Amino acid sequence: MAEELLKGGNAVICEDEKGRGWKRIDSPSEVRINHNEVPSNISYKEFVFSKTEPIFYFKNRKENYELAEAADGNGKIVFLGAKPCDARSVEIMSKVFNWDYKDKFFNEKAERTIVIGVACSYKDEFCFCTSVNINPASPEGSDIFLVPLDEKEYAVRIITEKGKEFISPYLKYLTEGNAARSEEALGKIKWPGKKFEPGKVREWIGNNFEHKLFDEIGSTCLGCGQCAFACPVCHCFDIVDEECSYECGRRMKNWDACQFGLFTLHSSGHNPRDNQNKRYRQRIAHKFKYYADKFGEILCTGCGRCSRGCPVQIDIAQVAAEINSTANRV
Amino acid sequence: MNIYKPELMEVVEIIDETADTKTFKLKFKDTDAARNFDFKAGQFGEYSVFGEGESTFCIASAPTRKEYIECSFKQVGKVTTALRKVSIGDTIGFRGPYGNHFPIDDMKGKNVVFIAGGIGLAPVRCVIWNVLDLRDQFKDVTIIYGARSTADLVYKRELEEWKNRSDIKTVVTVDPGGEDAGWKGEIGFVPAIVEKAAPKAENSVAVICGPPVMIKYTMPVLNKLGFKDEDILTTLENRMKCGLGKCGRCNVGNVYVCKDGPVFTYEQIKKLPAEY
Amino acid sequence: MNELRQLAKELLGNGTVKVIIGYSEGTTPERAKPFIARTEEDAGKLIFNKYCVNNLAVYLTRKEFKRKGTIGIVAKGCDVKAIVQLIQENQVIKDDVYIIGMNCGGVVSGFGVDDTAVKCNNCKVKTPHLYHTLLGAPVETPAKDDGHLKLIQKLDAMTAEEKWSFWEAEFEKCVKCYACRQACPLCYCEKCIADKSMPRWIESSAHTRGNFAWNIIRAFHLSGRCVGCGECERACPAEIPLSLINRKMGMVAKKEFDYSAGMALDAPTLVGNYDTADREDFIK
Ligand SMILES: Cc1cc2nc3c(=O)[nH]c(=O)nc-3n(C[C@H](O)[C@H](O)[C@H](O)COP(=O)(O)OP(=O)(O)OC[C@H]3O[C@@H](n4cnc5c(N)ncnc54)[C@H](O)[C@@H]3O)c2cc1C
Ligand code: SF4
Ligand code: SF4
Ligand code: SF4
Ligand code: SF4
Ligand code: SF4
Ligand code: FES
Repeated sequence: MAEELLKGGNAVICEDEKGRGWKRIDSPSEVRINHNEVPSNISYKEFVFSKTEPIFYFKNRKENYELAEAADGNGKIVFLGAKPCDARSVEIMSKVFNWDYKDKFFNEKAERTIVIGVACSYKDEFCFCTSVNINPASPEGSDIFLVPLDEKEYAVRIITEKGKEFISPYLKYLTEGNAARSEEALGKIKWPGKKFEPGKVREWIGNNFEHKLFDEIGSTCLGCGQCAFACPVCHCFDIVDEECSYECGRRMKNWDACQFGLFTLHSSGHNPRDNQNKRYRQRIAHKFKYYADKFGEILCTGCGRCSRGCPVQIDIAQVAAEINSTANRV
Repeated sequence: MNIYKPELMEVVEIIDETADTKTFKLKFKDTDAARNFDFKAGQFGEYSVFGEGESTFCIASAPTRKEYIECSFKQVGKVTTALRKVSIGDTIGFRGPYGNHFPIDDMKGKNVVFIAGGIGLAPVRCVIWNVLDLRDQFKDVTIIYGARSTADLVYKRELEEWKNRSDIKTVVTVDPGGEDAGWKGEIGFVPAIVEKAAPKAENSVAVICGPPVMIKYTMPVLNKLGFKDEDILTTLENRMKCGLGKCGRCNVGNVYVCKDGPVFTYEQIKKLPAEY
Repeated sequence: MNELRQLAKELLGNGTVKVIIGYSEGTTPERAKPFIARTEEDAGKLIFNKYCVNNLAVYLTRKEFKRKGTIGIVAKGCDVKAIVQLIQENQVIKDDVYIIGMNCGGVVSGFGVDDTAVKCNNCKVKTPHLYHTLLGAPVETPAKDDGHLKLIQKLDAMTAEEKWSFWEAEFEKCVKCYACRQACPLCYCEKCIADKSMPRWIESSAHTRGNFAWNIIRAFHLSGRCVGCGECERACPAEIPLSLINRKMGMVAKKEFDYSAGMALDAPTLVGNYDTADREDFIK
């Protein structure tokens, strides 16, 4: 089945064997569905929201300007093996890319995605999907949902119309299964414990912007972009021009992150977020308050990537839990 | 539609305002784009020099004047340096208009006080011309403008024109020590001059733009004169890239300055986290 | 651990230091994280064990700590190398730091794992070479295989094309998060060349060209300065073997100029020192 999928001009995206990130696979032997190991370091968002991509080309510096559209591919983008904490990413980011102006670079790719999710039986101290209203057995965000039954067998559930249409040519590869068996498998999944109440965190941040807690939690943060770049839902970007050849240039849309000192720096030297504590506060506040206020979604799926990868072990769930307990104390 | 792709603009006129500030008059190269273009006072755009990047400036001309747009910019960094090298006839890019605008309709029938400092006159100028072009719909109009020195005053010819008009009151000031031999205007900092000019607060709206220090010290003066926070309008200037509520850098709390701003009342600003 | 807490408490209590940059327990006991102890009470949270992987010298050049009185720092030998190199480069004033040197038997290679870091295999500074107070007993560990050296030799044996494709595949994964730079104690420039825009030296786009430019320029800027702490590689979410590059540059510095970064306080820095006797023939 994977073979036919690949032939059809579809991009099948799987987690790479080392768990660093996701890659487009070329052969069925590369299929990797990770449902019981730690999530990849970097999420698959780059296939929808590219780490770098041209937004248009320009020609001839002096006169006769010509602007050319940047072309996008076609064919489906199939995310194979998305854990529930990944499956929702496109949907969540889609809010910001569409709330007013529509970002076609995101949308054209988002429309082509098929999320084949997988029920997740991994869980470590950094997982907290249940604290942000997601759970390891949830098909939310998936078009097709796989439930691992044993080593090599998956129950396939069709979740959306999009998923149904996508899978219909391949139905011949599937056999009628027993729903009870997959229910049982789902039932066996152990959920990570709830670490905080997102509503509480949101409310507290709104009322305690200047709280001294924010001076402490960001104090060891190094201001790298690891957390944002690994995150399935961080969506900030920069716009820069660069050359492609002597007379041709292009304008690029590149990942950027609020943890960088330059992110908000004015040319005058003034910087509204002039230290790491303020930048870290932005991260927390954007995830749990601003995005929730504006778009009705928490900007976090609880995947734990940012915490696992943080070089100084800043654990976002721990921070949120600390906010939660501070909120409870007062 | 590609929201990041600019329109091509021809630079039709360049005015040297000060040693580091220029004003460009721009015309759309595409006639359809020109015809469809419309904006409101206070909105801004992204101006690009291809190969260098984009910069955010307000549209400094008035929406009541349709055939062109103007922008004034101060040389501070990469794009503004490249823009300085642009000559008449050259092509630059423009996307916009973006953001909200001054509530011109609500200001009708009221006294309007304009207070600006330095390059902050650019966004205010747009409103001034908008008001002056519809002069009979507004009551008293007062303009108070200050710059560090006479050499730093922008829109000099227009300042003259406004001073000579009898239907508006115009006060121009320079910081102490910034005057030159022929200077006939006021000498002093903007807040003090506002206090001295004492525009009446009743049925009035104040529009204020300029460096943060000027705004900081003028606010209490306005309050003292009786202006209420909700009648004081200003703009926030956070670093921007997209101008479209996407790139994520301009937010102050849950407000995207590029979408929900840049125009805010002082009352709204007071409610925001102090991150601007 | 008790002696560390006791010492920290004294130093904070009698005002010898303003703060102590050390480690405390992370999300689990098998993970330690950087911790800034400001009060005597905080001193009780300090820990030291094989999970203390971070090189805390990275904080010494941070604005919040710089020139704010004496800063205490808990440091393994490899971390002390970074401190020494920073002092050599005049980024840290010697009297502004109080080094709590730790005898070390090796640390793990990263968070949440239990294997010993490659850098520890042939470590020459298990007992730090500079400190104000030394804690813990010297640890004897058998010398092990130098894994990095082997890989470097393998790379050296490759043709230029092979080397290129090896690094192209690695750099391809770089996302330009700059975690390598931010985690590196020697990457302290207030304005990194990667952030300069007039002119822009390094394309900020994370494509092959931009990634090569970034990783190669960073390697240049650290040659003869990198102390081999491995923090860059550990921080890199794309798991690019950055140590191989920096170690190779360090080997060149050793071979050509007999210089090892961060070993001698009063030695002139490699790139900051000009000697007419310097060989030039290594530039090809
Ligand atoms: C709504 C709004 C209206 C503005 N109107 C004007 C105007 O009419 N005239 C004028 O001279 N300036 C105006 N500015 C400021 C102007 O945008 C910056 O000075 C300019 O972008 C600097 O660009 P640069 O490439 O030359 O500088 P660089 O230092 O090379 O800029 C790097 C980046 O920093 C950002 N940046 C730096 N400073 C600022 C700043 N103060 N505000 C926003 N972004 C900044 C830009 O996005 C730019 O891409 C306005 C800013 C905003 C937000
Ligand atoms: S929280 Fe961690 S990963 Fe994020 S910027 Fe700070 S140091 Fe880097
Ligand atoms: S903030 Fe952290 S835990 Fe939440 S979705 Fe992003 S990477 Fe995952
Ligand atoms: S947390 Fe920071 S990088 Fe992530 S989306 Fe929010 S502002 Fe952007
Ligand atoms: S380059 Fe890497 S190994 Fe060398 S000092 Fe910096 S962080 Fe440590
Ligand atoms: S840490 Fe790794 S991914 Fe990030 S910029 Fe450095 S080399 Fe690239
Ligand atoms: S400027 Fe990009 S979100 Fe406001």
